[in-house]
Amino acid sequence: MKFDASMVADIYQDRGKRVRELSAAGRGGVGYFCSLTPVEIITAAGLVPFRLAGSMSEPIREAHSYLETIACPFTRSALDVGLSGAYSFLDGYVVPHACDNIVKLYELWLHNIPHKYCHFVNVPHTTSRPSMEFFIEELRTFKASLELYTGQEIGAEKLRQAIDAHNKQRRLVQKIYGYRKQDPPPVSGSDMTRLLMSVMSLPVEEGNALLEAFESEIAALPRSADGKVPRIMLCGTGNEDTTFISMLEGSGARVVIDDLCFGTKPFWFEVGNGEDPLASLARSYLNDVHCPRTFRYDQRSHQDDLEVRFGHIASLAREFEVNGIIYYSVLYCDTHAFDVPDIREYLESQKLPVMFVEEEYPVSSLERLRTRVEAFLEMVG
Amino acid sequence: MEGPREKTTAEKSTETSKRVRMMIKDLAQRAHEARAAGDPIAYLFISSCYDDILRAMDITTVGTENYAGLCAAKMSAEQYLAKAESEGYQRHLCTYATCGLGFDATRRELGGMPPNAPDGGMEQPTVMLGTGMMICDPRYKWYQATRRYTDAPVHVLGLLNPPAYYTHVDIKDVRNYYIRYIVQELYELVDFLERHTGRRLNMDRLAEVVDLSEKTIKVWHDIYELRKAVPAPMPTEDALNAMVPGYFMMGTQLAYDFYRELYDEIKHRVDNKIGTIPDEKYRLLWALSLPPWYALVIFNYFESQGAVFPIEVVYHPPPPVDIPANVTNPIERMAWRFYDSMTRGHEKARKRSGDTNVEWFLDMIDEYKLDGVVFHQAMTCRTIHTGQLHQINIFKKYSDKPVLLLEGDIIDVRNYNQAATHDKVDAFIETLEAYKAKNS
Repeated sequence: MKFDASMVADIYQDRGKRVRELSAAGRGGVGYFCSLTPVEIITAAGLVPFRLAGSMSEPIREAHSYLETIACPFTRSALDVGLSGAYSFLDGYVVPHACDNIVKLYELWLHNIPHKYCHFVNVPHTTSRPSMEFFIEELRTFKASLELYTGQEIGAEKLRQAIDAHNKQRRLVQKIYGYRKQDPPPVSGSDMTRLLMSVMSLPVEEGNALLEAFESEIAALPRSADGKVPRIMLCGTGNEDTTFISMLEGSGARVVIDDLCFGTKPFWFEVGNGEDPLASLARSYLNDVHCPRTFRYDQRSHQDDLEVRFGHIASLAREFEVNGIIYYSVLYCDTHAFDVPDIREYLESQKLPVMFVEEEYPVSSLERLRTRVEAFLEMVG
Repeated sequence: MEGPREKTTAEKSTETSKRVRMMIKDLAQRAHEARAAGDPIAYLFISSCYDDILRAMDITTVGTENYAGLCAAKMSAEQYLAKAESEGYQRHLCTYATCGLGFDATRRELGGMPPNAPDGGMEQPTVMLGTGMMICDPRYKWYQATRRYTDAPVHVLGLLNPPAYYTHVDIKDVRNYYIRYIVQELYELVDFLERHTGRRLNMDRLAEVVDLSEKTIKVWHDIYELRKAVPAPMPTEDALNAMVPGYFMMGTQLAYDFYRELYDEIKHRVDNKIGTIPDEKYRLLWALSLPPWYALVIFNYFESQGAVFPIEVVYHPPPPVDIPANVTNPIERMAWRFYDSMTRGHEKARKRSGDTNVEWFLDMIDEYKLDGVVFHQAMTCRTIHTGQLHQINIFKKYSDKPVLLLEGDIIDVRNYNQAATHDKVDAFIETLEAYKAKNS
């Protein structure tokens, strides 16, 4: 496949287009929330995993009648998109037990949005041995539910093939991120977001083809050099829209790496492909997806505990030579908000400047944010 | 915003529930004595399945949510909330948690108990016991954050239950591995406690405690059966007091004796038709909503208008359990009790509304002969206060009883407006009157 920039732009503009086409041809799509849903099982069932999101460009209309304003605005927006019928091309959806807000979405979608299939994957909050054993059983139930829905058995070989395909996708994504270590990076944060959201809207094999074409394109780009511009890491909650990142980049930042739900989180690990594929999936999704909803803990000391919880952020920041970190959290995200004093302490101990942003979804006051961002960039630049 | 009037607590109707305040003071005193003696102390949450183990290991407990509620009722919470905010915790976070974090931060900063802390303050814990449940993220995030202010280790107990409904799974197929998980997690907890407190669990002792808990739950549940009587013998404000022995002292003789005594008093009131108020015009359900602990007097305001709450959904006793006869291991019995209480309404919900809470409301409307439903939206609690609109939407498909939605918070009085609340109650009373007239 020869890469053309319009390919990503077209998919990003109309993320459901390819699944609609495939669905009409007999291969349905299953929507899923969060980086904790093991998409390999959906792929192994012959269905297309489709990452669900809200809409940064549309105000909430119907969801006000179903979900209170004290709920996470991302979930309210996603529900609103669902209520509008925009996801009606999907066969159904999967909700993992991520956080209280996402759990609530399961009930709300179940009651209010037509579907042929729905499933809840109960993800333990701890990584204990019993939690791992439980999660394997829970994934077995998830697989069985898809087998019942499709009428097709999902054997170990199909699972292994799906794991291989998604691992390949993760390697490709990581390789493309790797180019962003260059200064200046050939791929902006906005481009990366659009690319990843497009990939998460396609069957894994088509997503991989797109990534390969994209990688070939940027590998061939001549290296340029320009003046020193602050290199920024973006951390926090999900933000699949480019409004905020574009503002950052328009203000003189280079967003070179992230720890975001729609960024590295679903791609920064590989699933082992051992004897029991479900056990491999359980291990990876419980241990390797870094989200504050999974309780990680080191009881030796508070500092050791911070290292266990946030060490991956400092490690990426160093690897990508960032000058500062912007921690962006959507309003009412309790799991992230409880971490703020700890993460501030940790990053400061690592000599990494950090700025915290808590915002509505969609972003409500971009110009106010721009002023803060510019001041931060001046400080770290 | 306008604050509440000076009086915060509600007048109680039953003599037994009036004793609870003294029991809470005794709980705090026990923690102070344990600290002085060097005995282990655990921070804990309610409804977390582990109480019987702590009781059997003779570990003193401090209910941190309960302490935040006490601070709110004593109008002492604001200083701790402000401290938590100054530490970087957002105002929208669970105020049980931010009150606790603010208290712990203050204690750490002062190097001792904050002056004038209600009941002498919360003692430094030896361990902090969080839970990883499907209903409340602060249950593991709060104590994780508290490590900033104490060196006590944290343990998070995995406690999961399946949802009421899937399209392609029979819930019966998942039960065994859910219960097995809870059992294994309880054993992990025992291991943690033995390592960090120096106490050993004696399984015979645990079996005695579990038996006592099950007996206590049965009596507690029987009281709620008596509460179906007209006029209402025990209103919600009394139940919010009377839940303390059940949620913070379960597995003790003290809790059992308390409910025996409460049962006798309620039975006497039922037999003699002694109600909460002289002229009971409207009977209301306090739906799935935590109360404004700084303004429980709101229940008396309803009563001044002839409306009483014979029953509530929150702080309900767990139902007596159907544990298979071959399950004799006390830890397994505890796991069954938890699983059973979390899934009991699922089958019924699947057959009708699809929502276990709404089924509960509908059942209570019939069984307790209720005229309307009141929700309270606690602004900082996303655990059970999001999805209330959804519950109301479903409820209205099956019942035309009037519904009121109040706004406030559990702990933070800044989110509460007494005048606006009274206005809403007044308008609701008129709605109830109109509804009754229309249907009489």
